[in-house]
Amino acid sequence: MHAIQLFDLTKRYGTSTAKSVLAVDRISFAVEEGQVFGFLGPNGSGKTTTIGMLVGTIKPTGGRFTLLGASGPKGLMAARARVGATLETPNFYPHMSGRDNLLVAAAVKGVGRPRIEECLELVGLSDRAKHRFKTYSLGMKQRLALAATMLNDPELIILDEPANGLDPQGIREIREIIRILADRGKTIFLSSHLLAEVERTCSHFAIIRQGRIVAWGAVAEVVGEGSAVLLRAEDTEALAGAMQTYPEATSVRRTDEGIVATLEADDLASVTRYLAGQGIYLSHLAPYRPSLEEVFIDVTQGAVDSMTEIAS
Amino acid sequence: MKVVGVLLRIEWLKTVKRRAFWVAVGAFAVFTAIPAVEGVRGARRNPNLSYALPESWPDILGAATGIGPFFAGVLMILLVAPEFTWRTARQNVIDGLSKERFYAGKVMLLAGLVLLFIATAVLIGVGGTLLSPSEGGLGILRPTDLSYMGGLALSLLLVGSAGLMLSVLIRSSGPALGILFLYLIVEEAIIGLISQAGGALRRSAEYFPFNILDQLGDDLAHYPEVLADVNAKRTERGLESWEFLDVEVLAVAALAYSAIFLGAAFLSMRQRDL
Repeated sequence: MHAIQLFDLTKRYGTSTAKSVLAVDRISFAVEEGQVFGFLGPNGSGKTTTIGMLVGTIKPTGGRFTLLGASGPKGLMAARARVGATLETPNFYPHMSGRDNLLVAAAVKGVGRPRIEECLELVGLSDRAKHRFKTYSLGMKQRLALAATMLNDPELIILDEPANGLDPQGIREIREIIRILADRGKTIFLSSHLLAEVERTCSHFAIIRQGRIVAWGAVAEVVGEGSAVLLRAEDTEALAGAMQTYPEATSVRRTDEGIVATLEADDLASVTRYLAGQGIYLSHLAPYRPSLEEVFIDVTQGAVDSMTEIAS
Repeated sequence: MKVVGVLLRIEWLKTVKRRAFWVAVGAFAVFTAIPAVEGVRGARRNPNLSYALPESWPDILGAATGIGPFFAGVLMILLVAPEFTWRTARQNVIDGLSKERFYAGKVMLLAGLVLLFIATAVLIGVGGTLLSPSEGGLGILRPTDLSYMGGLALSLLLVGSAGLMLSVLIRSSGPALGILFLYLIVEEAIIGLISQAGGALRRSAEYFPFNILDQLGDDLAHYPEVLADVNAKRTERGLESWEFLDVEVLAVAALAYSAIFLGAAFLSMRQRDL
């Protein structure tokens, strides 16, 4: 069963044609139950707007979606009781303690006090629960947000940039919590621009760029399989030029390691034959396993400038 | 009914943790206590100065009508607008509260503040009369006292709903407070200009929101026999008589303005993204 399904979901801000902004442009994809799904995209690509529509804070201007099989205003309202979500930064009452903030969230979700203590324990905040939210570090705020999403023991957890602004230790803690939740069979929909994190944490992903889905699938299929090859030769320029004209190559790019080419068919003999015919003799030819980051940069070319943060 | 209980509990949890709430209620209590203390001290010093029920209701309620509505308006802004800057309104909706229910919670908060302010004023005033040596007249509450109490409730509702509307429309407490006080000045200026004109235009100024508020909060509008005495004295001195709109008209106007403010806030809450 699908935990989330989007059909041509669209959001346009503003009504006048000249000034309106198409933030999300007819996107469609699905998240199966039990998946840990990474939703990737450069800043301003439409990730938060998409999540806002799913959680009911932003009204779509077109298309539709289902949450845990439910659709329509009443169905979605009921389904959201089985969803835990955060959007952008952790949003809590700054003057209230962590525990009191969870008390408000628990009252909204119709959950009792014992569950608050369980969730505080799970995210390691029991000792600081009586302190005011405004005194928390960013990592603690993110962990409190995770605790709030888990209060109603949701089937689907939607997290928007949960590792944003965290140090490596904080990121590791969040990853660990997500792993625990995934082990408990929760469906997790995670937006992030930390690609290495998504590659480590997620089973499936979708990439959004300028409001449109440009790639979608299983992480293992993209980074583990396929017919990409890494080639090296004495004259890298000539090798790159020759591969650009090779009819079976669907994409060719330079990396620090050499030339990476994606082939239509996994026929390495043809490649060597073709290059030898061009007077180029290879010093290295091997199947290449691209990282999610490379896939991302491949499909979001043109948005590379905004990816500095991702690449670093 | 269960939903009402849940919304009240949520608003209670949020409100009792706000320092602004306790400061505002405390300040309101102090302001309403001052005339009560003066009344009791006066009655103890001078037997001719009475502080007892039902005669002292205009004093008890007068202190509350003077400042209570603005405390209600300011407090509504301080309690509601930060929900948008902190994005907790958004988080409440994400956690499962519909926008409509979030808004209903705020209307309940407003109703709760109206009741709390009236109860505070009444308790302090009645408590004062219990400490006073004065003997009261017949009964505890006359129809005119009830009318004045109703005027206080409507005044609190009128400015409180304006505060709620500004909070939801502007979503930031500083500018919302600024606009609330700016409106007071603007209305005063407009009334000043209109009053130089004559006829229907001049009469229309009486129906402006804060003019309605002024009249609702004036004890003379609720105690016709006192108004008659005052006007008789003014006539003796060659002064123009004071006139007020009927209490029923004032009540309908205050309810109509409150409905407009609450309706505008509801539409904004429903239509705008969080």
